[in-house]
Amino acid sequence: MNALAFAWRSLVRQPARAGLGIAGVAAVAALLFDMLLLSRGLVVSMQDLLDREGFDVRVTATASPPGTGPRLRQASRSAAALMALPEVDEAVPLGLSEVAFDAGGDVGSQQASLFAADTSRRRPWTVVEGRDLAGGGQPTGMVLLNRNLAAELGRRPGDSVTLRAFCGAGRSALPLVSLQVAGIAEFPFDDPTQFSAATTLGDAARACGEENRDEADLLLVASSESAGAENTRAAIQFLLPDLYALTNEEVVARLQQGEFSYFRQISTVLVAVTLGFSLLLITVLLTVSVNQRLGEIAALRALGFSRRRVVADVVCESALMVGIGGALALPLGMALAGWLDRILKVMPGIPAELHFFVFEPRAVVVHVALIVATAVLAALYPMQIVARLPIAATLRNEVVS
Amino acid sequence: MTTGTGVRPAKAVVEARDVTRSFAMPAGPVVAVRDVALRIAPGDHVAICGPSGCGKSTLLHLLGCVDAPTRGTLLFEDQDVATLGDRERSRIRLRRIGFIFQRFFLLPMLTAAENVDLPQAEAGAPKEQRRQRTAELLQYVGLTARADHRPSQLSGGEMQRVAIARALANRPTLLLADEPTGELDQATGAQIAALLDRVNADGTALVIVTHDEALASRARRILTMRDGTIVGGENGS
Repeated sequence: MNALAFAWRSLVRQPARAGLGIAGVAAVAALLFDMLLLSRGLVVSMQDLLDREGFDVRVTATASPPGTGPRLRQASRSAAALMALPEVDEAVPLGLSEVAFDAGGDVGSQQASLFAADTSRRRPWTVVEGRDLAGGGQPTGMVLLNRNLAAELGRRPGDSVTLRAFCGAGRSALPLVSLQVAGIAEFPFDDPTQFSAATTLGDAARACGEENRDEADLLLVASSESAGAENTRAAIQFLLPDLYALTNEEVVARLQQGEFSYFRQISTVLVAVTLGFSLLLITVLLTVSVNQRLGEIAALRALGFSRRRVVADVVCESALMVGIGGALALPLGMALAGWLDRILKVMPGIPAELHFFVFEPRAVVVHVALIVATAVLAALYPMQIVARLPIAATLRNEVVS
Repeated sequence: MTTGTGVRPAKAVVEARDVTRSFAMPAGPVVAVRDVALRIAPGDHVAICGPSGCGKSTLLHLLGCVDAPTRGTLLFEDQDVATLGDRERSRIRLRRIGFIFQRFFLLPMLTAAENVDLPQAEAGAPKEQRRQRTAELLQYVGLTARADHRPSQLSGGEMQRVAIARALANRPTLLLADEPTGELDQATGAQIAALLDRVNADGTALVIVTHDEALASRARRILTMRDGTIVGGENGS
């Protein structure tokens, strides 16, 4: 009977204790797994959201996030200049503003986010019903609504809507603009309760009463296949040194340093805490188990079992307990992560498509590595007890006791 | 069947030369075994008697290479045990010595057959050979029908018989028994004594530590210990 089989028999010798121990390890390890998912979940999810749009470089006037800093002047000219670069496949100026739709009847108006873009092939939204906006920056008199807004306004593709833009000049000074609903679209960064709409830069400028205005909050840039985001960013920065270009990776890195750092820190602390609990739990279980069997272990040593063998039995018992608990922790952790994700996403302003807990093979690898290290560390003290066990004195004590 | 190697070398199985074993205690060292000289020949049958605390078990542990003398020389098959590391001493205990304990120390999660198989597996014996040897030994101790029973399903006498089978598993030259009938009633103790006689008759040297006069009287040599020394028999009066 090898050490592993022997350890298994030792473990199941007291099924209730083994079961409780494994359940404890599974619960703590599930929490550990969840914290590993949380530590990179937002980063992975945000990167996925950014990449899903099809643009891999973002250009703004300053280092401030889009919509919070100064706007890009001559946005169409800048986009055209970027399009001339061999590294750039497409450049889309995008304006962000707030508008109020006339909901009619007793409802009054409904405030919404308005995305204004001069698109050609790629779009920072996905049309799910009706048709898309025509390409180019000219006013078309068309608008896209997200599902929430369409439902709130009771509009379908082909219907008309009236809106008033907030352009920093005050609501009352701006005229109402009438647009036709081209289709229903999904916007990747919408939260579940958000009202969003999209139109062309030309229509947005018209709503602000400035038909000749050529401004945007950012330029969305798609690199050519051969260039890659980093080369494209460098080329943009060289061509337009006054602007601020970031790849998606850099955007995510900035978020990781700022808004996301809280979750990373909390996950790091909880990983340390859960590892500590795992270590204590397994050490206590193994130490109790070993202390209950000192007489048997001394007898095995007297019968000729080597020190290495009896130590291996303890390590294998630890490995089995942690291995089974750790394996059970994966499905348990995934279920727990789904539940926690739903709770956290209730927070205001969180995009519906953004997830706090994201499964990655890397997390499983780290989980397994940490669990293995915990099993070995937890076994150290009981291993020491077994390795240093004085055979004769233990046998004598067992008889006396 | 034979329980031992079948070979009876002329040299002593184990020999203690003026062996002393003392233990450090807060109040000062306690000498458990003092200047004991003892030679166990192949096929010997020795009983060590004496009052509790006289050093019988300590001497047995020294003879079984479980403990090391503080002073003096202990030779196992002419090898000085003091020169051997833990691994070598474990190997000697595994292959050349069998132990029987008062409290049996069978592993409760294993069946009788698995308990007997365990030392053979540790010694690296092939599976089929182990299976045959285990069956042979369980038949030898009269427990073939109980092979698949766990210790909790066996009586005290049956557990001690399984322990004897386990001790003989690797065909030791020396069998050491520490109060083998200490936990058994008189009738069961007599059965175990008879079994041990048979083991010795089949060629295995046997050293028994016991308070049981009936068991001791079956030995060819009876050594009496007092205060760590042999006072009757070998190097005593």
